[in-house]
Amino acid sequence: MAEGTRTVLDMRGIEKRFGDVKALDNVGFNLIAGEIHALLGVNGAGKSTLIKILSGVYTKDEGRIEIGGEAFDLGSPRAAIEAGIAVVQQHPELVGDLSGAENIYLGHEGTRPGLFARIDRSDLAARAEALLARFPIDVDLSRRVADMPAVDREIVAILHALRLENARILILDEPTSTLTEREKASLFAMMRMLKAAGIAIIYITHRLEEVYEIADRFTVFRGGRNVACHTVAEAQATGLSIPNLMLGTGGGLAFPPRATTPAGAPVLAVDGLSCDGMFRDVSFTACKGEILGIFGLVGSGVDELSKALFGVFRPDRGQIRLHGKPVTLRSPAQALRSGIFLVPGDRRTEGLTLDENVIFNTTVANLGRASFGGLLRFGANRRHTRALAEKVDLQPMRLDRTLRGFSGGNQQKVVIAKGLYRQAQAYIFVEPTVGVDIGARTKIYALMREIARDAAVIVISSDCDEVHGVADRTLALYKGAPVGSASRDTSRDHLLHAGIMGGIAA
Amino acid sequence: MISRPLALRLLAFAALVALIGLAFWSQSAAFASTGNLRSLMRHMSVQGLAALGLTFVIVVRHFDLSFPGVASMGAMTLGWLIAAGMPLPVAIGGGLAVGLAFGLVNGFAVARLGLPDIVTTIGTGGLAIGFSYFYSNGTSISQNFFMSGILDLNDRKIAGLDMPFAILMGAALVGAILLHASRLGAGFYATGQNTVSARFSGVPTRRLIVVAFALSGIMACLAITLLVASSGAANVTAGNQLLMPAFAAVYLGAALFGRPSIGATLAGTLLMSMMLNGFTLLAIPYYYSDAIVSTVLITAIAIFDPRVSALLRRGAPRRKGEPV
Repeated sequence: MAEGTRTVLDMRGIEKRFGDVKALDNVGFNLIAGEIHALLGVNGAGKSTLIKILSGVYTKDEGRIEIGGEAFDLGSPRAAIEAGIAVVQQHPELVGDLSGAENIYLGHEGTRPGLFARIDRSDLAARAEALLARFPIDVDLSRRVADMPAVDREIVAILHALRLENARILILDEPTSTLTEREKASLFAMMRMLKAAGIAIIYITHRLEEVYEIADRFTVFRGGRNVACHTVAEAQATGLSIPNLMLGTGGGLAFPPRATTPAGAPVLAVDGLSCDGMFRDVSFTACKGEILGIFGLVGSGVDELSKALFGVFRPDRGQIRLHGKPVTLRSPAQALRSGIFLVPGDRRTEGLTLDENVIFNTTVANLGRASFGGLLRFGANRRHTRALAEKVDLQPMRLDRTLRGFSGGNQQKVVIAKGLYRQAQAYIFVEPTVGVDIGARTKIYALMREIARDAAVIVISSDCDEVHGVADRTLALYKGAPVGSASRDTSRDHLLHAGIMGGIAA
Repeated sequence: MISRPLALRLLAFAALVALIGLAFWSQSAAFASTGNLRSLMRHMSVQGLAALGLTFVIVVRHFDLSFPGVASMGAMTLGWLIAAGMPLPVAIGGGLAVGLAFGLVNGFAVARLGLPDIVTTIGTGGLAIGFSYFYSNGTSISQNFFMSGILDLNDRKIAGLDMPFAILMGAALVGAILLHASRLGAGFYATGQNTVSARFSGVPTRRLIVVAFALSGIMACLAITLLVASSGAANVTAGNQLLMPAFAAVYLGAALFGRPSIGATLAGTLLMSMMLNGFTLLAIPYYYSDAIVSTVLITAIAIFDPRVSALLRRGAPRRKGEPV
């Protein structure tokens, strides 16, 4: 049903102003039936404004939107849905206690006639089956959503968005941010199937490698303008640099230079550390003056390892030494007192108090320093927070704003400021750039290098390029076991194979 | 939570005070009389102290339903010690110790043993009511009250203020410093809003939950001490009237000011006391005012609960990345 180049969406001359700021400046965007179109840009580039206009959350100030050749105004979310636009939010809201099918038709259940208007379960199942017949995906919709793996929840959210017959444009906002590599593969398989069914997909992501993997075309936004639109094949053929397009400067994903001086004294050493069912026999030494990288996919035990190093889990065997002395870490509080700081993998639930402001979040991990005689030092805390916020380049520089009001990258910068305020000797960064745009990523890598001058830094990530790019020495964890030892010149491919297949191929 | 500038919130509060005040004043001129305003402030003192204690528990996102029972037992302990001829400070200390002990038990059960707070505190509250019958088989105690000096707690004045109100103001000041200007307070808020992140920040979350329950117990017993002083007798049902107004005050304040705080609780208490006082003045039976307090409580919860407020602003753009 998809005929080569049928345009399903054509946006022309779109403008959107917020006060004096032009969020979108004469923007055009088009979509062809059955294509996967990546929408790229750093935070604030205008891509979410465009999506919000498309989904009817914002109304445009100027411009024309045609869907399937027909002009639409999209003044409300309902109008957008009726026009055939389906949106899957970045963190889809599903009801954990209901089954997949019930979630898909939530609010649109058919009822049996009668006083109690009971939900017609056979009808529900039949409709879910019909939906699955349109998109033959291998997913058990009778399971409770809470019991499903993350990718199945994502699929349920997508099916929920596509439950209406007329849906022809699907918007996916960073769906892979919480998925493992394998889950990502099944999500991509589903996207290819939707594409084959003629659905046009707008795909928002911060992970550029995914663009080459899944997208047909991409559009880059910068400063509220559409600065480039190419097919992926074209970009690959001409060696076009997407990071350059996004940042508008010469630099791409710039990793800071490696350590030039030899590593200093050992700070945090681990010997044969094991946590049953999570990881085993992990040994390494992190020294002052260097960044140690640990690459491991989700489920490889890296997250648990980071928590064992921070006193959350007690290891079953093995030893942790700080400055050469064995320590038993009983709690995060004790780990902090010992000079270890964790930048946790899930900053929203583990790293931040989202309803408090920047000052609160910066000082909360070191309330002893933030107070005198038990009373908070308001003036000094604001001063210190401002200095640290400048150091991490917080944007916008609004110390009294709650953390909810910052982008992912800037939230992460606050977690780093919190660590700097703690003045630790060993910093553990877990997945430091998940959901962080390119501009902030570069800054975060530079900050790690700066921190490493006075402390040991350990980077734990499921992003191989990140670990390889930023760390001086690397090791990989595969299914809980270390592959190879932390050495200085492991190649990227070597590391990738070690972490993904446990082997030393290539 | 919807965050509006503080000035706007204060304005809304002042408007509510004026509205309620004018409504009652138009019905009964006696509402604005000095005598009535003083009795309003007395009433507010008792309710306010209990609500202040409860505020700490609400800030760490738990519930304490035991404090009315604990307060009753505190009242009986106080009365029994006075009747036994103990010096007043010992008697009052004994009453407060009951609050402390039950608060520690609640805190230990909830924070250390991980028991559900609502059921646990209903249980400990029932236990305390049971114990309060031990002293006198349930009859009220008033022996020695005239001689002991406890009535002075109600009758004396400090710096032109009635003693109970002065005590409330003192407690509010200490509470405000504790909750809003100390590292303890920062820990309370951190614990309540995101326990995991608080623990990862080295905040002793479990200990703080115990402290919050202890403060709630002590403050409930302090509140009941003032009530005993004003009525001149200790009664096994003394604490019953604390529950609903204290919860309503905390939640109403939190709804008005966006989050639970000492100032918010005081504001909530003032509104609650104005309403209860006004209804009494209009000779509306107390059981109707119970219904009204309950309605206010439910309304306040509806506004305070982020899930409900999310429903209220459905249609407004949802903020990116808002949690489920």
